[in-house]
Amino acid sequence: MMIPFIASDSEASVVDVQLLTLGTAIVVFAIFFLLAAKFVWPHILKGLDERDNKLRDDLEAAEEARQQAKSALAEYEQELTKARSEAGDLIAKARQDAKAAAEELRANNTRELSEMKSAATADINAAKKAAIGELHTEASNLAVAIASRILDREISAEDQQALLSESLSELGQSK
Amino acid sequence: MFPFLASNNPIHHILDKPISGTEHVTLLGKPALTVHMASLVIAATIAFIVLRCAAKHISIGKESEGTDRYLTKGRLSQIIEVITIYMRDKVIQPVLGHDTNKFLPYLLSLFFFILVCNILGMIPFADIQVVAGKITESSEMDWAFFGGTATSNLGVTVGLAIVSFFVIQVHAFKSLGIGGWAHHLTGGAPLYLLPIMFPIEFMGMFIKPAALAIRLFANMVAGHTMLAVLTMFGMMAFSATQNWLLTGSIEAVSTVAAVCISFLELFVAFLQAFIFMFLTAVFIGQMSHHDEHEAHAEATH
Repeated sequence: MMIPFIASDSEASVVDVQLLTLGTAIVVFAIFFLLAAKFVWPHILKGLDERDNKLRDDLEAAEEARQQAKSALAEYEQELTKARSEAGDLIAKARQDAKAAAEELRANNTRELSEMKSAATADINAAKKAAIGELHTEASNLAVAIASRILDREISAEDQQALLSESLSELGQSK
Repeated sequence: MFPFLASNNPIHHILDKPISGTEHVTLLGKPALTVHMASLVIAATIAFIVLRCAAKHISIGKESEGTDRYLTKGRLSQIIEVITIYMRDKVIQPVLGHDTNKFLPYLLSLFFFILVCNILGMIPFADIQVVAGKITESSEMDWAFFGGTATSNLGVTVGLAIVSFFVIQVHAFKSLGIGGWAHHLTGGAPLYLLPIMFPIEFMGMFIKPAALAIRLFANMVAGHTMLAVLTMFGMMAFSATQNWLLTGSIEAVSTVAAVCISFLELFVAFLQAFIFMFLTAVFIGQMSHHDEHEAHAEATH
């Protein structure tokens, strides 16, 4: 069966090479190539190269930044370790100083307490001595007065002094 | 009935036709203006416009755009960028080495030109125009201004192969010099084998691009012939049986098969464009001055 509106071309063959078609193909492709070589490929290839360069540069910069960050981190960690060590030393020294200060304070207090105690003892002894002296004086005066009344005579100052000395020595011995 | 087939002969689906209204314009007894010629021009125009737009998108933008200027905008531009990078780094660079940048524009132009021709051939423009012509003019004549697969025309593929042939040979002369080029024709064989080697290598010089042309042509013809045959099955069944049920069943199966084959054809469109370009690169590479090979040969001696 034939489709009526299509004329059959029994002479035509697919392996016929038409020179006009061949020439047209060459000319059309040549024009296309020249236009593409002028207006297309330089832009595309330049764009690709620039993009490649940009990527390469960015990757290198990123790698460099990574290295810098890594070294900065190492440095920071080193500084941190050093700071921790210094802080530990400072704390230990502060503790030691505080301990020494407490020890010194305690020693001072002990010494002051001891001195105060000594002073108090000395004061007490002095007061005791004074009191005993006054007591002796009063006792001797009283004894002289009593003795005067008993003997009914005046006791001279020399006698009194002799008696006093005798009494004191006796008192001292009796103590 | 089945107007899309455009003929009862699947080969007619592939054959070149004069542009409607120009049948009387002839040169050397042949139509001077054909749909394949128009398709070539349209394919070149489309390829150039698409690539030009892609070039604008792939180019680095203004500094005011910030980091966005390094981004390629648009899916099509991104696809072209990916294809270009792949071709350059994985296909052409390993073959051509330091000559890559010199031949990259030619090889990429070749690839995209053939690809657009192949893909345009996947769209049945010619058949659509025939139908549209019938509907609008009710004429008994074909109504076709462009369409068909230009790369299924042997004239087109031979034309492209001739361009590649000259590129290969000019590069060979430039790279090897006359002596090197002549030496290359001996195939490196001893002198007494020259009478055999020289004719073989000399013929090989022409056979290689001829093989490029025939491979592309044959693949395009085969695929489109198969598609035409598949879509004709329904019509053939109806002609033979006049049975609508049988015709419908066969048409359904053949349509599914045609869709599957169309996907295969789409793959073939890319593959054949790639092969044409890649083998051209290989042939150029074979005619290059290989410093590393010579250094290796000297080292082994």
